[in-house]
Formats: sequence, C-alpha cells, structure tokens
Amino acid sequence: MGRKQVIFIALLIAILVLLPVVVKKDNIINLALLVLLYICLASSWNILGGYTGQTNLGHAAFFGLGALSTRFLWMSGWSLLPSVLAGGLLAVAFALLIGIPAFRLRGVYFAIGTLALAQILYITVGNVFSDISSLRPQDLATYQLVPRYYFFLVLALLITGTTYLLVNSKLGLGMMAVREEEEAAESLGVSALKHKLLALSISAFFAGLSGGAFAYYHVGYYPRFPFSPEWTFDSMMMVYIGGAGTIIGPIIGALFFVVVRELLALKLVELHLIVFGILFILVVLFLPGGFVEAWKKMQAAFARRSKERGVKVSFQTTDD
Amino acid sequence: MLKLSGINAAYKDLQVLWDVSIQVDEGELVALVGSNGAGKTTTLRVISGLLKPASGSISFQDHSLGKESAHRIVELGISQVPEGGKIFTGMSVLENLELGAFVARARKDKDQTLKWVYEIFPRLEERKNQRAGTLSGGERQMLAIGRALMSKPKLLLLDEPSFGLAPILVEQIFEMITEINRQGVTVLLVEQNVRAALELAHRAYVIENGRIVGQGTGEDLLSFESVRRAYLG
Repeated sequence: MGRKQVIFIALLIAILVLLPVVVKKDNIINLALLVLLYICLASSWNILGGYTGQTNLGHAAFFGLGALSTRFLWMSGWSLLPSVLAGGLLAVAFALLIGIPAFRLRGVYFAIGTLALAQILYITVGNVFSDISSLRPQDLATYQLVPRYYFFLVLALLITGTTYLLVNSKLGLGMMAVREEEEAAESLGVSALKHKLLALSISAFFAGLSGGAFAYYHVGYYPRFPFSPEWTFDSMMMVYIGGAGTIIGPIIGALFFVVVRELLALKLVELHLIVFGILFILVVLFLPGGFVEAWKKMQAAFARRSKERGVKVSFQTTDD
Repeated sequence: MLKLSGINAAYKDLQVLWDVSIQVDEGELVALVGSNGAGKTTTLRVISGLLKPASGSISFQDHSLGKESAHRIVELGISQVPEGGKIFTGMSVLENLELGAFVARARKDKDQTLKWVYEIFPRLEERKNQRAGTLSGGERQMLAIGRALMSKPKLLLLDEPSFGLAPILVEQIFEMITEINRQGVTVLLVEQNVRAALELAHRAYVIENGRIVGQGTGEDLLSFESVRRAYLG
C-alpha cells in the first residue's frame, strides 16, 4: 500500500468512527449501518466468489444461520459476543456440509447446492419458527442504535482487513490461481479442493457473524427473513457492480446500492429492483470488472492523453 | 528416473492409451512425438496425476505415482508446462512465478530460483509487474516454462511448447529448453513439430493412436522411412 492510500483509509475510518458523534439523526446512522451491513455481506461473498471464482448462490443461508442461532442464544441468556461467534461457526458447519461433496465435482454443482441449501433452510425455518422474533422488553427499553452501528463497523473492518491480509498471503495467491486456471493450479501443487474449502469457510464464517450482528440490530422480524434469497443476490450484485476480486469493489458496490436504493425507494418503491437488474446485466455484459475497472481504464486513458499533450507542449517550446 | 509400464488410460468409456511404456533416465532430454490426438497430452496428464490410469504402473525415483495426487507429484519433483501455457492471465508475471514455487520444497529457495529463472528468461524480469494477459505468445510460453521451473523440478514435462508460435520463436524456445536440460533438469518433451523435436532430443518415442510404435535416438528416427513419410513429408 502506498502512503496516500494509508492516509485515505485512516481518514475514512476516522469519519466512520466519528459519524454518530457528529450526526445525531437516527435515520442517517441507520442508513450508514445498512451500508456497513452490506459491506460485510458483499465482502464476505467476494472472498469465495471474487477471489476464488466459486459462485455461491446461498450466502443468505449462512447469514440466516448466524442470525437464527445468535438470536436464540443471546435471548436465552448468553452474552452477545459468544452468541455471535457460535452463529459464525454454525454457518461454517453448514458450508462444509455442502462444500465437501460439491467441490469434488467440477462445474455448477456448488452453485446449485448452495442455492438448494438456502431455499430449504428458508422454507424450513419459515415453517418451524413461524412467529415473529422480537427483542425482549428489557432490551427494547434500553435499545440504542449507536452500539449496533459500531458493532457493524468493527465487523466490516475485520472482514475487509482479513481480506487484505488473505489476498497478500500464500493462501490468497493459491485461491486466485484456482479461480484463473484450476488445472494449471493443481499442476503447480495448489490443492484446489483445499483452497476452495478454506475460502468457503472464511466466507461463511463472516456471513454468519454478519447474521449475528443483524440479530443484535433488528428489533423484530420473522426468523426466515434473513434466509431470504435477496440477501444473496443483493450481495452478489454489489460485488459485480463494484468490482469482483478487489477489496474496494464490494465497498463501493454496497455504498452505491444502498444509497441508490434509498433514493429510488422514495419515488419508485419496488421499481428499484428493475433498475438494479438492468444495471447488473449492463455491468456483466460491458464492464466485467465493475466500477473498479472502469475507474482504472479512465485513469489509464487520462494518463495517456496527458502524456500525448505533454509531448505536444514540449514540441511547441522547442519551436519557440 | 521415470518409468511407465503398460499404461492403459481412458476418458470415461473412451480408451486413449494402450499399453504405453516409456522410460526417461536422469539428465536426458526425451521427446514423445506424434500427430494430433495420438495420446501425447494424455500421457503427460497421467504422469502429472491429472488423470488416473485404468491399469499399468508409473514410478518416479522409486516412488509409485499411480495413486498420488497432482500436488503431491509436484512435491516429488515433477512439473508440467501445460499445452498453451495456461498462465494465470489476470495476475502479474511475478505472481505467476511465485505460484510456481508454491510447494514447500520449492518455497524456501524461492528467491534464488527466481534469479535463475530471470537469467534464463531476462524478458520475464523486464515484465515482472505486468499483467500476464498482456504478454505476447512467446513471452507467455517463457512464463509458463519459468513458472514450472520455479518448483525446482527434477523432471520437466513440456506439452507442445511450440504451439502457436512463429518459427523463429520456436527456435528460441527450443534453445532455451536445451539450455535448461544442460543445467541438469531432465526433460520430457511432447511435440507435434516432429522434426524440431527429434533434432533436439537424445531419445524419442513415436506414439500413434495411443500406442508406442517406435523408439530410438533422434537421429535414428529421423532416418526411419515410416517416420519420414508420416511426419516429415
């Protein structure tokens, strides 16, 4: 990382930390919290989908499992952090359940398997826990948004930081090799199965923690709600719109998604789905690297142009 | 060093290799030549563990490879340059090379091996921070070979290194292969470019329809009437 980048990141974190202190409006803090929640989900999806090249269509299952078990443990008297951690581990257990058989096969089996797992859990949880899950009266009486905001902020920093360390490690190098050319990776001694399972476990663990944070945050919801497929597809869309396989991509994607959705929701209500659907198709077709690639291309074009202009200028001065 | 005996191999129901036996001794440069679809690549895939043979045995320096996984075989010292290179186009040249030194045995000497690879292919050092996808065809092939060398192989398997390259580049690549062999790496070279391969190799095998139909020194095979007619025109 360059020095400019370090300063920029430090500044960004400082702004995020100070936000609830400076801005006291709950609706703004809530919006920022949602952005952070989606950064968590999108960045965790990106570890497996963006860096390892394995399409997970059931991210909501891991998110939902984290929420379900955290809510259960926390409300039955566990303290918050162990409950959230347990939610993350439960998500990993289910991830391995589907990943171990599916990754032995090439092709779409993993995508289908995760989609099936998520749908089965969505329906089952809906049937078994059909009552709305509300916080206890004593929690409601003392409910504050700010600690929830910080919880998500810490989690988002943890996931982004881990991703950064991961992609600069030997493990991350192996993951990217598996994404690019699985057979070539194998022939270099990179075990594709091992790397996919590790990436999946990390990704599911973070999705589970995010679910736990959601259970801590949300006052009342149907237990099946965090299992609903839109969590998966929204995260995926953010990753692709922002830039898959980059650290900043999911962050930009999440910010863009939440802000645009809020703006559209004011005027068009559910129409934002159509807008994002079209945008997603356009990005996949014309901009496979998302906003991050668009930015890089623009920079490169700009650099070329100013270089050409620089040459021209120097000609003029020699003419003089 | 490497010995295949009576290998039969198939993709699902389609048998591709029939009773293939090959031997490569330490320090040799051996070529396996034949036309398209003869089973050359399949033979390499069997050696590097990407395809398990239906029957027959493979041994490498007293290890039996029949049941070993692909990454374990790399660990033992066999490295393959796949057909077309199969470099990681989205990653930098340096990252590609680092991936070559992925196994523990190669990892500890990574920096030293990298220097050696840069000596053989100076072009790779010039381009080390460039995305591999931006390299030319010849540079890609160099990168693929360099990447394989990063694992410090005792035996290097080369699948069609001349594929898609201009004749002048083929000559260069083949010179580099000779040089790598001279520096102590045993080489098994698979080629459709029969004449060039036979001129280069100490010994060669000819494979046809999945069966070994001839073997001998490169010069011998070049003068064989059947080989001349079939491959050299």
